[in-house]
Amino acid sequence: MDCGTALGKIIAKADGLLPREEEAALAGHLAGCPACAAEDAAVSAAGPALRALIGIRAMEKAPALDAMWTRVRAGIEESRETRRRSSWIARWVWIPAALALAVSAILFYPAGTDRSPFHPSTFDVAVEDVESDVATVALVDKGEDLPRVIWIIEDAET
Amino acid sequence: MNERERGGVPDDALIRTTLAGDDGAFGELVERYKGRAFAVAVGIVGDGDDALDVVQDSFIKAYYKLKEFRFGSNFYTWFYRLLVNQAIDRWRKSARSAEVPFDESWLTEDASPPDGFAYPRTPEDLARDRELGDALQRAVDALPEYHRAVIVLREVDGMTYDEIAEVLGCSVGTVMSRLHYARGKLKESLKSHREG
Repeated sequence: MDCGTALGKIIAKADGLLPREEEAALAGHLAGCPACAAEDAAVSAAGPALRALIGIRAMEKAPALDAMWTRVRAGIEESRETRRRSSWIARWVWIPAALALAVSAILFYPAGTDRSPFHPSTFDVAVEDVESDVATVALVDKGEDLPRVIWIIEDAET
Repeated sequence: MNERERGGVPDDALIRTTLAGDDGAFGELVERYKGRAFAVAVGIVGDGDDALDVVQDSFIKAYYKLKEFRFGSNFYTWFYRLLVNQAIDRWRKSARSAEVPFDESWLTEDASPPDGFAYPRTPEDLARDRELGDALQRAVDALPEYHRAVIVLREVDGMTYDEIAEVLGCSVGTVMSRLHYARGKLKESLKSHREG
């Protein structure tokens, strides 16, 4: 076995993909090739070294990890409270919105409520016939500052 | 290996109990998986405090998503998907992700003859060689996130290729190629420390 082939098999062995029948051939090469043996040692050490590194971090944080359920439970409660609050807001948000709308309507409704009631026949109005035998449309236009009113008269009754 | 295989109360039963309103059952799941979850999280984010936050957030997320869990599938595979995504997000947002440049030259160093040097195999071994621990951490940090996730799930958690592929939502071939690459990086880190 040459070194190039051996290097491929070293990685395959570490990945758990080297067929058992090829392990002996690789071991034979490693016994006589210090360079490949060094490669094999380093590749094989990667996993245990990574586990060792993470083991150190786990030891450092062991007390905090012991209290993980307490942390999680607190987080769940907090999240539940936030959801409850936002759900409450969603349920009742229409009240201030409706109040604001009502106040706006009161504040900005066009003035001039002191006008007396009128009937189109008592004012200068333009009366137009529509294509119907029973309906008449009356346009009441009292000036530029006032809204135009449309009367629809059916069967001579408004 | 999950708890069902170890003879404890099956995960599915704990999930059903949680969904029925008993949070204590979810606490059992937390106790069951917190150690493994922390190992995976710290392997990806590098920092212990960040990893604790990731584990906490992942369990909270899992709690609220529990009704989406498909009974018959593995809880830990489902949970690890949340955990790994949470950890990768955390890593990307952390300052550490910008600190470590990617160094292709690590893959091209020559081998040298073996000597009496013994690579660390336990936390105690590694704790005695702080420089190696730092070098190894830098090598892990320099891996692209998904490569890091693959080698952690494989080497630390012992997941199969199929399980890793399911967790990461990729093919087994992709898992194998990422694992191969990541292992090569860690190997070079170990060798260069020994030779340096």
